[in-house]
Amino acid sequence: MLADVTRNLLSGFGISCQIFFGTLIFGIPLGLLVAFGSMNTWAPFKRVIKSESRFAAALRSFSPISFLVRIFIWIIRGTPLLLQLIVIFFGSAILMGHSVFERVDAAIITFSINYACYFAVIFRGGIESVPKGQQEAGLVLGMTKRQIFTHVTLLQLIKRIMPAMSNEVITLVKDTALARIIGVTEIIYYGYRYVTAEALIWPLFYTGVFFLAFNGILTLLFAYIEKRMDYIKIL
Amino acid sequence: MAILEVRNLNKRFGEFAAVRDVNLTLERGEALAIIGASGSGKTTLLRCLNFLETPDTGEIIVKGETIFDAASELRRNDSWIRKKRLHFGLVFQSFHLFPQYTALRNVTIAPELLAKGEQGFRANKAKILADIERNATEILDSVGLSDRLGHYPPELSGGQQQRVAIARALALNPDILCFDEPTSALDPELTGEVLKVIKGLRERQTTMIIVTHEMQFAREVADTILFMDEGCVVEQGPPEDVFGNPKEERTKRFLERYSQGYIESPYKLYKGTQDVLFV
Repeated sequence: MLADVTRNLLSGFGISCQIFFGTLIFGIPLGLLVAFGSMNTWAPFKRVIKSESRFAAALRSFSPISFLVRIFIWIIRGTPLLLQLIVIFFGSAILMGHSVFERVDAAIITFSINYACYFAVIFRGGIESVPKGQQEAGLVLGMTKRQIFTHVTLLQLIKRIMPAMSNEVITLVKDTALARIIGVTEIIYYGYRYVTAEALIWPLFYTGVFFLAFNGILTLLFAYIEKRMDYIKIL
Repeated sequence: MAILEVRNLNKRFGEFAAVRDVNLTLERGEALAIIGASGSGKTTLLRCLNFLETPDTGEIIVKGETIFDAASELRRNDSWIRKKRLHFGLVFQSFHLFPQYTALRNVTIAPELLAKGEQGFRANKAKILADIERNATEILDSVGLSDRLGHYPPELSGGQQQRVAIARALALNPDILCFDEPTSALDPELTGEVLKVIKGLRERQTTMIIVTHEMQFAREVADTILFMDEGCVVEQGPPEDVFGNPKEERTKRFLERYSQGYIESPYKLYKGTQDVLFV
């Protein structure tokens, strides 16, 4: 019986892992993009308006890209992930008249967008916390902005955001269970099926062991990374 | 021909005029020390030369080529600036070393990135990288850090960090080396080792602009002293004149405050020592 349950739960856990890794693979680059978007300083009205009023001054420094990206972050962070799953999966199907995504794909897309917004805020905090002098040092040494990012800022940034990222990543493991709302057969789905079909509660408790074990590994991994980066002392 | 000519440079931050109508010329091999109270525009002037600030008016001419002209918007794209700013090297007050790299890597990283952009890098990759590393090692050796190549910045003292920063600037062979208060962030007992390095550079005819609060040092090392107050160049001349016989009232008042000991100069702490880092 235990072997049977374990096998079933493992197959559900495989789906959970698909969502987990898929979200990291797509969510982190997307988060970086959103972070840069939210820090964009392109101000199209900078030279157009000459008036001295306070409104004109505000308009001159207005950056539409950053504004739109921040609105987007507000919407995504301000609504439940559960609702976003439903909107992406069922909403797209209603709109098109037929289902658009595979269930797991819809889950990965939604999770990626949702987590990208949280990542973006963490990334922005990290980027802004690297002292300006580091950039200036790179500039006077003739580096391009991209070189400064990859060779100067990036590693310091990674070190700084690690604790916050470990929080997000561990939360993500548990959030994968939400995909059940659009019928993704992740681990809790299998556990719950034992409750309804066979009146067994312990398989549902057993799912917790999987989460605990996986997060245990992640905790050790993050501790290892942080230890490896210990030599970088932010000056 | 002068190696550097600055004409009519102005820089405002909002209502505040940080640099006002500065004109200066610098000959090859000349050391210029800029002195003045905090907030007098010394650092801003240096940052303008290094393209860290964009002057509102004025021209910067290096070796006869206009590298900045506020009146013309042309050529002011990133790659142009990146190329032209390499005429200058800048040593910061608080070093700004890259903490994730060793002392040696701090010095090699910029030359390597520049070399990678050159044609023919791939063909001679190994040789070019070896040359860069050898050059960096030599420079670090010349600032007395041959036994600290593998150390990370936090493992070095402030004076050693600043010497790494000087080596990092030297590795790109700038025409003009700028120092922005290179010893102001250091404990008094550590300033001596940095000043000695600068003195050594002076002996090797490096063209330098040194913003400093070390009056005694400026007097010894500089060919020309430039005194700034409220963004303007108040007085300019050889050290004997500016220190010994200042013409302007403002210069006199400023120097008096120093000589009365309101502002302590740590320079004297190393004056007795004999060892010279540059051989």
